[in-house]
Amino acid sequence: MSSITEPIARGSHFNRILVIAGHAFTQLVRMKVFYFLAVFAVIAIASNFFDLPQHEGPESIGMNVLRSIKSWSLGTMTLFSVVLSIVATALLLPKDVEDRTLYTILAKPVPRFDYLAGKLLGVLILVFVSLAMMDVLMTVVLQIRSSMILTQQIAMAQAQGWPQDAIESLRAETAQHGPNWALQGAVFAVFLRASIMASLALLISTFSTSTLFTTIVSFLIYFIGHFQADARDAYLQAGQAGEGVFARMAALVFSLVLPDFQNFNVIDAVIEGQAMPLMVLVKLSLIGLYYALFFTIASWFVFAEKEF
Amino acid sequence: MAEPTPAVEIKGLVKDFKTSFRRQMLRAVDDVSIRIMPGEVYGLIGPNGSGKSTTMKALLGLVAPTSGSCAIFGKDSLKVDSRNDVGFLPENPYFYKHLSGAETLRFYGKLCGLKGKHLDDRVSELLALVDLENARDRRLGGYSKGMLQRIGLAQAMIQEPRLVILDEPTAGVDPVGSRQIRDLILKLRERGITVFLCSHLLEQVQEVCDHVGIIFRGKMVKEGRLEDLIAIEDQTEIIIKDASPELISQITALVGNSTTASLVRTGKPRTTLERLFLRETTQGKDS
Repeated sequence: MSSITEPIARGSHFNRILVIAGHAFTQLVRMKVFYFLAVFAVIAIASNFFDLPQHEGPESIGMNVLRSIKSWSLGTMTLFSVVLSIVATALLLPKDVEDRTLYTILAKPVPRFDYLAGKLLGVLILVFVSLAMMDVLMTVVLQIRSSMILTQQIAMAQAQGWPQDAIESLRAETAQHGPNWALQGAVFAVFLRASIMASLALLISTFSTSTLFTTIVSFLIYFIGHFQADARDAYLQAGQAGEGVFARMAALVFSLVLPDFQNFNVIDAVIEGQAMPLMVLVKLSLIGLYYALFFTIASWFVFAEKEF
Repeated sequence: MAEPTPAVEIKGLVKDFKTSFRRQMLRAVDDVSIRIMPGEVYGLIGPNGSGKSTTMKALLGLVAPTSGSCAIFGKDSLKVDSRNDVGFLPENPYFYKHLSGAETLRFYGKLCGLKGKHLDDRVSELLALVDLENARDRRLGGYSKGMLQRIGLAQAMIQEPRLVILDEPTAGVDPVGSRQIRDLILKLRERGITVFLCSHLLEQVQEVCDHVGIIFRGKMVKEGRLEDLIAIEDQTEIIIKDASPELISQITALVGNSTTASLVRTGKPRTTLERLFLRETTQGKDS
C-alpha cells in the first residue's frame, strides 16, 4: 500500500499550525473550560484558613498558611492542567473524525503534521493561559497573606527585642515562602508536565477511536510515570536480572518512552520554601521538550498512515 | 492542439479493507477508472455501499489505493499540493457548531493561505452565493440541515478551486433546500468549475450532470455522456401544446399509414412530484 505523503501546499506550515491552534483554543474556550477558574479562586482563598496553631516564636507565625496556599494552589494547578491537557486532547481528534470535519480540513491543502501540531498547540495555549491566570491569582493571594504575616512577625520580633540583623534574616526567610521566582519556576514545571501529558494523549488518540480509552490510558501512564523510576531501579538492582545488557537496554528504552515524573518532585521542594536552581528548570524544560517532540512525531507517524 | 489535463483521472483504482472478522479482505472498489475533463459535471451513481464514497476519498487522499492511481489536474492525490485545486463537501458534514457561518469560511480560507481583504471579500461573496448573508454571524449550531449543506458548499469553494467534489450533497435536505443546492451546482457549471458529484438520487443527477458513471458492488458497470446513455435511439418524442382531438387523430392516422413507424403512446406528460411540491410550497411562501 502506498503511503499518504505530505509535501508542498499553499501557505506556510507555521501559519496553518497557528490557524488550527487558534481554532482549537477557541473551540475549547467556547466549551466554557475557564469556569474552573472560579473553583480555583475558591480553593486559593479557602487555603488561607488552613492554619494550624503553631506559636513557638515569630519565625513560625503563618508559615503553615503560606505552605498551605502554595500546596493547594500548585496541587489544583497540577490537577486542572493534567485533566485539561488529557481530556481536551483526547476529545478534539475523535470528535473531528466522528463529525467528519476532519475530512473537510484534510481535503484542503493541509499536511497531516500541521493538523496534529495545530491541535496540540491549541491545547497547550489553553493550558498555558489557564495556568497563567491561576498563577496570577495565587501570587496575589500569597503576596497579600505574606505581607500580613511579615507585619505580624516583625511586630512580635520587635516586641521580643530581636536584633535588626535577625529581623532582616526573618524577613528573608519569610520571603522564601512568599511569591518568588522559584514559585514561578514550579508553575512552569506544572505546565511542562501537562505538555508531556497532552502530547502523550495526542499519540494515543491517533490510534484509539474513543475518547474514553485515550483518557483512561493517558491517566494510567501518568500514574505509572510517578513510580517508573523506582520500579526500574529496583529491577536493575535485583540481583542477576538487572546485570544483563538486555535488561539495561530494556530499562533504557523504557525510560526513553515513558516519562519519569519523579523529575518534577522539585515542585514539592518549592512548596517547602526551597529555591529552584536555574539548571533544574533547564533540565525539566529539556525533558519536557524531548517527550513532547517524541510523542508528537510518533503521533505523526501513526496519523500519516491513517485512513478515514 | 494538445488535450487539456483532465480535472480527475482515476486509473484502475482498487481498494481493499480489512474486515474485523478473521481479518478477511473486503474489496470496496474494484478496478474503477474515471476521467473527467475540465468544466464537466460528472455524476457517480450507485446504491449504498457500492464504493462511491471510497472512490471520492481515494481521490482526496483520505484513503490510499491498494492499487491504481488517482490524480487531480495531473497531480497525484496522495500529495498535499493536489488539494490546492479541489473543494470537498462530505456526506452529512457537521462542521464546528461553535463557529458562525462567516467564522467557518474564514477558518477554511486561512487554511488555504487566504488572508486580509481578499479573505473578507471571498467570505462575503460566498455567503451571498449560497444565500446565507442573513445568517453570517449566527452559530452553525442554529443552522438547518439545508443551511449546513450550503455553508459546506461555500467552504468547499473558499479557495476558488477548479474542481468541487460533492458526496451526497442533498442527503437529508428537504426538496426546497435540495433545489437550492442543485441551482448552486448549475451555477458552478456556468462558471466553468468541474463538479464530481456522487449520489443515489437519480433524478437530481439527471438534471445537473452531463456525464454519468454507474458503480455497483465496487465495479464501474456503465459510463458515458448522459444524453447517450438515456436516449432511446429508435423512438422520437414530440410534445405539442394545446393540441385539439382532431389534430391528435390526424397525427395518429398519419403514423398508422407508415409502413415502418408505429405509435407507442399518446397522453399528457406528467410533472414530477418534486416539481409539484416545489410549485405549491414556493407559492405558499410568496403569498
